[in-house]
This record gives sequence, structure tokens and C-alpha cells, in this order.
Amino acid sequence: MAGILILLVIGFAWLGAVVVWLVGDQRPKAQHWLAFGFSALAGISSLLLLTTIDSRPALDLWFGPAFGSLTLVPDGLAVSLTVIATVIGSLAVLFSMDYMRGEAQLGRYYFLVLFFIGAMAGLVLSGNLLFTFFFWEITALCSYGLISFHNDDPKAVRGGIKALIITQVGGVGLLAGALLAYANLGSFQIADLLAKANTLPVGVLSFIAFAFLIAAAAKSAQFPFHTWLPDAMEAPTPISALIHAATMVNAGIYLLARFQPAFETVPNWSASVMAVGVTSALITAFMALTATDLKRALAYSTVSQLGYMVYAIGAGGVLASHFHLQSHAVFKALLFLTAGAVIHSVGTRDMRRMGALGGQMPFVRNVFIIGALALIGLPIFNGFWSKELILEVGLEHSPLWVYALMLFGAALTAFYTFRMTWLVFFGAESDSLHAHDAGKAMKVSLALLALGTFVTWLSFGGFSKLLTASLPFHGLHEESTLHMMEMLLSAPATWFALLLVAASLTLFFILGRKFALSQNPAWLDALTDTSFGFESLNNGVVRGVNFIAEKLRFTQSGELNWNIFGIMGGLLAVLLVLWWSGVK
Amino acid sequence: MNMTSLNIVLVGIAALFGVGLYGLLITRNLIKIVMVLQILVKGVILSLVFAGKLSGNLGLGQSIAATVIVADTIVAVVGLALAVQVRRRFGTLDAPQISTLKG
Repeated sequence: MAGILILLVIGFAWLGAVVVWLVGDQRPKAQHWLAFGFSALAGISSLLLLTTIDSRPALDLWFGPAFGSLTLVPDGLAVSLTVIATVIGSLAVLFSMDYMRGEAQLGRYYFLVLFFIGAMAGLVLSGNLLFTFFFWEITALCSYGLISFHNDDPKAVRGGIKALIITQVGGVGLLAGALLAYANLGSFQIADLLAKANTLPVGVLSFIAFAFLIAAAAKSAQFPFHTWLPDAMEAPTPISALIHAATMVNAGIYLLARFQPAFETVPNWSASVMAVGVTSALITAFMALTATDLKRALAYSTVSQLGYMVYAIGAGGVLASHFHLQSHAVFKALLFLTAGAVIHSVGTRDMRRMGALGGQMPFVRNVFIIGALALIGLPIFNGFWSKELILEVGLEHSPLWVYALMLFGAALTAFYTFRMTWLVFFGAESDSLHAHDAGKAMKVSLALLALGTFVTWLSFGGFSKLLTASLPFHGLHEESTLHMMEMLLSAPATWFALLLVAASLTLFFILGRKFALSQNPAWLDALTDTSFGFESLNNGVVRGVNFIAEKLRFTQSGELNWNIFGIMGGLLAVLLVLWWSGVK
Repeated sequence: MNMTSLNIVLVGIAALFGVGLYGLLITRNLIKIVMVLQILVKGVILSLVFAGKLSGNLGLGQSIAATVIVADTIVAVVGLALAVQVRRRFGTLDAPQISTLKG
């Protein structure tokens, strides 16, 4: 049963991708509806998958001795992420029906979106590290293709290539770790690695652990790889909501959470994870404070929130981390889609040119405020419960000064979120932009997501049951929603955090409104433009490749005889290697 | 098969392959390239039959050889047809002179 459902989830998405492609760009209406239909079917299948949680593989496909067998494991971690990918995926597709109306080449757009949704489900469901890597690379490819969707815009192309290069650094880390695990265990199965982690030599295990940390940091845009996500905002906004806020960037968190029990014992690993999380959370919160581009501000905020999740995993709170992941996926998708509605309507992303748009688009304003309040973490919204849970875990398992830094981060979050809301919807009208409220399809998906920010935290009990029942290695304890509420509401730390948020909001109203509109000092702009000096990674790779290519140009002479000479040399080299390695 | 005839076949294979390879490395004329390629492939076919004989799978060696003969003939036909077209279009059969894709 579970096996069939898994195949349906991936199958519907990938079949949809091909069908939408084949329908052709002459029939945009059919493309919109088919894409939505297939993604909704995948979403329904993944919801049904929630009833068949199991820690054992539901499917076992043999791919020959080199690849091993592709096991598909519907455990709590995998299924919850599959549900997020497919459900938010179908809402993003629904939103695209309005957002992408009249755009050319919808076939390419929907193909990549649906291909991505299927690959994301495969990535989390796969129990074979090598196939996890394959799916991982497919998601990177789709992300690149969608960032560069407007491929006549050099900025979009540059952003896409940058994202591809930096996530490839992570892909190499994942592959290196997987191959090393295979060399020592003779199996690519994740379950084997988790079960036999402590039989591995310490050096090998720490290499795998840190290789995976690099992979996760690059994929989730964590420090020092955080530079690609803001530039990825050239993508159409539904893509930013789906791939760069709700799903693909969570793949890194997933990887860390999946292997946390195996790597916990590696010296310095947990501390490094925590350091990565705290650094990302804080520096990007500062960058969000100064951003003037609406989508870039949201992107910085995404990196910052992902930093909270990474921090929680470093502190050992896999459940808290994934609970926040779930909340964040909902409210950040909501914020991004709302931002998309605003941008679609006024035609600019510069927040300085917006202002007082609230009156013209009341619905959009209201849902944006809901999303913003969830991001700030006010009670009754899902962001409150999950963020407080992370802070609670952090208070218990990390040094006090680190916890204090994260609290400060929460206050910063409140500040920049309010600044953003204020600049876009309230304040003085700066350019008299003409705005119209969102279209019907947009409204439906926004309303559903807004509803989600109120209710998803109620599923905490069930969520914790799913994870505890199906993750034998993680040693989690089941908690009910009521118990979680009681624990958080009776903890003084929660009220202290809320007080800090309130103080931050007051501060904003006293002096922040002036600050929000003021010009940033030049040194601050320079610092954030270069992402605190970490652009050099991408630039270095690009320059290195160009340099090597220039040096190797002479080998491509185009002379037939030289090419034959090269072919023969290659053949000779292969024969020599075979002879040397003793193959008879 | 005694030692002498075995050596004769081996020398034959090496000679055909060597002549073909040497020709490929130095020829520039398209028709000559097709010709030396044929010589090289004849050496390969001979080695296939020979390997079949040595390993006892005579039928297998011969059938692969027959397949290669067919494929090789097609290569020759297409190659010569291309050479004719190249001659018409560029007025020369010299390989380096027709490399218009050279960057």
C-alpha cells in the first residue's frame, strides 16, 4: 500500500511534468489546469501516505550491483517533508495560474516545477544514499532552471548559475560522504549507516559527518554559503515560495536531522552545527534589516530561520527543528506568495517605492500581516510554538550566551518583519503606484496558507507521534500538543522572549519608522552587497574555471590527426592501467 | 594451430592495424582517410575471428566479425558520400581546410 502511494506521489508529479510539456505552449489554459491537477493528485497521495508510516522500506527496487537497491522508506521524517513539498507545491502551482498568466514558455516552467516536486519527494523518501544524491542533484538542476527562467535577463542567469555552483559544492560533499560510507560499510543504505555508525573508525565517521555538514550548509544556504539564496530571488515568485523557502532549502536540514544520531558522537560536530546555525541566523537577520528589495529581505529572513533549525539540530532537538521547519514552510510560503501578489500588481520589488499599498489591496495586506505575525512568533500562530520550542531546546542544551544570541535574533526578526510590513503596506505613499487586489486563484492559495498558520501547530502531537514511531535511531520522546503548550506557557523563557519581541516592536514604533525610510550608510550597503565578504567563494570558482579553460584551449586545435592521436593515447593509457592493475 | 601459423596471423593483425593507424595519423585527404580506416578495421575483424578461434567460440567470433563487416561497410559508404559532398561544397578534400567549426 505504502509502496504504491510512494510511486503515485513521484509518478503523478513526473508524469504531470511530461504531460504539461507535451500539451504545448499554444494551450496555456490546459497547461495551468493540468499542472495544478497533477500536483494536487500528488499532494493527495502524499496525504494518504501519512496513514502508512513505517520505519521499514515500503519498496525495494534493485538497480544492479553498482547502485544497490533503491529502498523507499515512508518514515515520519520523510513523509512530513513529502507532504510539505507536494501540498505547498500544489498551492504554489495554483498561485502560478494567476501569477504566470500570459507568460511565454509555460511548458518549461511547469515541467521544471513538477519535476522538482517529484524529485523532492524522492530525495526524502529514498533510503539509499546514492539515490538521495541523484534526487538532490535533480532538485539543484530544477532550482537553477527556474531561477534562470527569464533567461533573457542576465541577472537571472547569473543568479541561477551562482546557485548551481554553490549547491554543487554541497553535492560534492554529499557524494564524498556517501562514497566513503560505501567504502567502509559496503552498502549505500541509510539504515545501515545509522546502525553501524559506531563501528566505523572515528576519522572516517568525522569525515562523513563534516562532509554532510558542508552539503547541508550549501543546500540550505547557511553560513558561509548563504550568498546564493538572495540572488536566487530573480526566480518567479511562486518558485521562491516553493523551492527557496518551503522545500529545497530544507533538504539540508533534513540531511542533518536524518544523520544526527550517527554523528552526535563525532567530536565537535554538534558544536560546529550550532555555530553554523547561530552565525547564519544572526548575520542574515542584520542583512534583512537593511534590505530594500522585498524578496531579498524575505530571502535573508529564510536563511535566518533555517539557521534556527540548524541550531536546534546542533542542540539535539530534531523534533523541535522539524516542527519549526513545518511552520516555517507554511508561513514563509505565505509571505513569499503575498509578496508575489504585491510585486505582480505594482511591478517593482523595491520597498522604498511602495508604501501605503494596504488600502488598495486589503486582502493581500491582511494575509501578509498574518504571515508576518507568525514569523515574528506571536502566540496562536504556528511560528510562535515552534520557535519557542527551539529556544527551549537551546536553553537546555547550549551555552547560555548562545541562547542569548538566538533570543536577540528573535528580537531582530520582529524588527525587520515589522519594517518590511510597514514599508510595503503602511506609511506614506512614495510613488503613486497603482495596485489591484489579488486574483481568484491567488486568493484561494493565500487563504489556505493563512489558515495553515493558525492551525498547523495543533498537529504537534500527531507529528511527534509520527516521528517517534518511525525513527528508531533518534531516541525521541512522544509529546502531546497539550503538554507542549503547557510546557511552553509555563516556562519563564517563553515570556521573556515575548517581552523581548514586544520591546523590539515598541522600539520600532518609537524610532524605527524614521529608520525604515532612511538611507543606509554606505559602509553597511557595501558590507551587505558582498554578503560580509563571502561572495568570493562563487567568484573564485567562476574565475578558476575560466582560467583553466583558457589554459586548456590549445588542446582543442580541431586537427583531425591530433584528435586521433589523442584517442590512441587514451586507449593506450586505459590498457596500461588495466595491465598495471593486473586484469588478465 | 601450430606456433608458426599463430604468429603469422598475429603479425598480420598487427600489420593491418599498424598501417591503418599510421595512415590515420598522417593522412589529410578524406578519401584516403576512409581507405586507411578500412585497413584498420580489417585488422580488427581478423583479430575477432582469431580470438573466437583461440577461445573456442568460433561461431561467436565469426558472427561478431560479420556484424562488424556490415557496420564498417556502412561507415565507408557514408564516409565516401560525405567526401563527395565536401568536395562539391568546399572544392577541396583536405581535412584541415574544411574545419569551419574551429574556434
